[in-house]
Amino acid sequence: MNQVTFPVLDKRVIIFAGAYGSGKTEVAVNYAAGLAATCSEPVSIIDLDVINPYFRSREAALSLEAQGVRVISPHGEMCHADLPIILPEIRGEIERSEGKVVLDVGGDNVGARVLSSLADSFGRGYEFLIVLNARRPFTSTVTGSLKMIHDIEISSRLKFTGIISNTHLIDETTTETVEEGYRLACAVSTEAGLPVKFVSAVGEAAKRLDPETIGVPVFTLKRQLLKPWEEKDRAARSSKNKGGLVLCRV
Amino acid sequence: MNENAQAVFNRPQLFGEAVTHYCPGCAHGIIHRMVAEVLEELGIEGRTVGIAPVGCAVLIYNYIQTDFIEALHGRAPAFATGLKRVSPDLIVFTYQGDGDLASIGTNEIIHAANRGEKFTTIFVNNAIYGMTGGQMAPTTMPGQITATSPHGRNVKECGYPIRIAELLSSLRTPAYIERVAVYNPQNIVRAKRAIRKAFQYQIEGRCFSLVEVLSTCPTNWGMTPQESLKWQETTMLPYYPLGCFKTPEGEVKE
Amino acid sequence: MSRILMKGNEAIAEAAIRAGAVYYFAYPITPQSEVGEYMSRRLPEVGGVFVQAESEVAVGNMLMGAVASGKRAFTSSSSPGISLMQEAISTMAAARLPVVLINIMRGGPGIGGILPSQADYFQSTKGGGHGDYRVLVLAPSTLQESVDLTMLAFHLADKYCNPTMVVADGMIGQMMEPVQFPEDYKEEPLPPKDWATTGCRGRAPRIIKSLFLDPAMLETNNVMLAEKYKLMKQNEVRFEAYKINPQNRILLVAYGTMARICQTVIDELAEENISIGLLRPITLFPFPGKEIFAEAVKPNIKAVLTVEMSMGQMVEDVEAAVQGRKPVEFYGRTGGIVPTPEEVRDYILKILAKKTPAVKSWKG
Repeated sequence: MNQVTFPVLDKRVIIFAGAYGSGKTEVAVNYAAGLAATCSEPVSIIDLDVINPYFRSREAALSLEAQGVRVISPHGEMCHADLPIILPEIRGEIERSEGKVVLDVGGDNVGARVLSSLADSFGRGYEFLIVLNARRPFTSTVTGSLKMIHDIEISSRLKFTGIISNTHLIDETTTETVEEGYRLACAVSTEAGLPVKFVSAVGEAAKRLDPETIGVPVFTLKRQLLKPWEEKDRAARSSKNKGGLVLCRV
Repeated sequence: MNENAQAVFNRPQLFGEAVTHYCPGCAHGIIHRMVAEVLEELGIEGRTVGIAPVGCAVLIYNYIQTDFIEALHGRAPAFATGLKRVSPDLIVFTYQGDGDLASIGTNEIIHAANRGEKFTTIFVNNAIYGMTGGQMAPTTMPGQITATSPHGRNVKECGYPIRIAELLSSLRTPAYIERVAVYNPQNIVRAKRAIRKAFQYQIEGRCFSLVEVLSTCPTNWGMTPQESLKWQETTMLPYYPLGCFKTPEGEVKE
Repeated sequence: MSRILMKGNEAIAEAAIRAGAVYYFAYPITPQSEVGEYMSRRLPEVGGVFVQAESEVAVGNMLMGAVASGKRAFTSSSSPGISLMQEAISTMAAARLPVVLINIMRGGPGIGGILPSQADYFQSTKGGGHGDYRVLVLAPSTLQESVDLTMLAFHLADKYCNPTMVVADGMIGQMMEPVQFPEDYKEEPLPPKDWATTGCRGRAPRIIKSLFLDPAMLETNNVMLAEKYKLMKQNEVRFEAYKINPQNRILLVAYGTMARICQTVIDELAEENISIGLLRPITLFPFPGKEIFAEAVKPNIKAVLTVEMSMGQMVEDVEAAVQGRKPVEFYGRTGGIVPTPEEVRDYILKILAKKTPAVKSWKG
């Protein structure tokens, strides 16, 4: 983790929300890991995604725990449930006075609705960040992004405090993709009166970004939520799917 | 023939030459005829699609000469929903018996009515399963002997007959729901008026409309046609009161 | 249009709209609910109709009513929901109604689980409901292919007047990849829908039905359907050959997500000079059996390995295709577990290490 470019946010509670597929989870997971590497305080991440059945931050739990991040998500078989499960410890974690806590919220206004039920816990101050990806169908324009901001604010009963520019096309992301997204984020920033807090991008694309063009910190992401055929680490692959019956004829 | 003679009673043009398969004394023939007459009188036969049920009336498409789709058992309201939603200019009606609509198809009819789908349902209630051989229907009268209630319908085990018109009228969504009978000419005239009104509301795009027609089944009731008309009047009518149960907003019940 | 990032379920939904299917009937079920959510947002923009039905049973029947007037309509669901539609699918086949169904498969049997699975292979390719019939079945393995095959599904359904299914495991429904939609989508000419019930003004009435009281007529109808299935087998077999060459020592057969995992394994083993090829069925019905046979009998092939997220379903078709000429092996995980590349790799190495391949039926 590059400590120089890690954009530390002062508030104790940091909430990432946004459209489906904007990359909230990847940003939240990387951000929590980055906090754990830079801060002396304890760091936890709360998986508040109650609408997506797959690719949630709980899937990166093992790796996060190894990096010193406490993962709060449904336990045991419940981690595979498509039920809206809000653990009682979530409220306590948000209301505590020390440490940093990252919230990964489900997509769209539908996914952000869960924040409403916790609205009375955010009194001590928070960052509420909209993750924008200009290559997603409903946030590819300023109008679409403003509507998303509006809809999420209504359903969550919270006001955004900043924008994260996270435009990407997964492994087809180029420097141009990121720059194009940053331009949209700036336009949205002007219209919505919200600052762009940082630009996030995967390694190669982030490296080649011109600091002159990007006027805000660049946060380098390392992809944590891989598809099963993308995992290159053979030890990690071997450790998956342990236990259970293997069906074969040999 | 006397060239001054005037035809006072004709076969509706919509009826082809086919001879129906219905038993003597069965009211399906009368009800089919009323539907055909109404379609002709309203001039909508060329844009009407009927949905045939599973039951005695499955072959209705052989008798009423409009486009028809044959639905699965109980699902005619779902077929009608799909058709009417994608082609709202069509006039769509389902023609269903009591096993089809009041038993296997209750879910579909309740939700179609509750969504306010703008099609028309002709619901024929003869208190028995005709097609499959006279088994007990949800509308079978208490104590009525059928192939599957040989000692008479036992309400302690089977509950009381379902009153579809009343059940659907309890929904908040506007609809036109009326129950009619066909045991004598006066009632047949009223029944036809109700059917006409149901289609009229559909033409105007007003609401879901359903006419429950009390019918007969001399074969499975084990009665002569005359006796079955009497039984409909004396046994069914007290339990299934006639009349209009629901009208769209702004209309007055007659 | 530039490439955009989409979730599988959304990509399929948008592809359907691009193919002119703006009538959607469905009931929510994980892991495909995003299709309905996307449709409820997009359809009003394009003048379409979205009905959230009371059940999947109603969905199947609404679809028949919708396509009966000649419009393109579709649904999406996941395994248990598709089970509830089987009576309707049988009737669509009998009455020649061109309905498109998307199945984002999850683990079964019963309520099962919500994680990815390929255990509905039998259900989709062997009928699924009652009576003699077949459904055209397309199985994408990338999101771009999900877009392309969904659009193709509507064309094939209309071409053959037959229910057509796109089956993808939950992984494909839920994952994200960049996709591109065709600029000017043009289809080959299709036969006129001279069977549609659109009101009979100026023509003889049309009847869409599946009841044939006369056994000779029912048999005739079934024979005519069978002729159509024969045509599909002649014209519509689709598959992808990945790194298939004469040096291959094992022929892999896998579809959907499992094919992606097999490709990773093949690439890695190639670096170790172990040559493996993959034949990926794109149409599950009609099945590329002849093509599998042709590859399997090549002299260097020691065995054919089928990899599935099931207890072993497609392997029966592979077995039939290979006709006992080479050993047919199977590796699978079920319940929502996706085999890792490591597991597949280890299994391949195990087969290669075996001394004398016994040629026998796997059931024997």
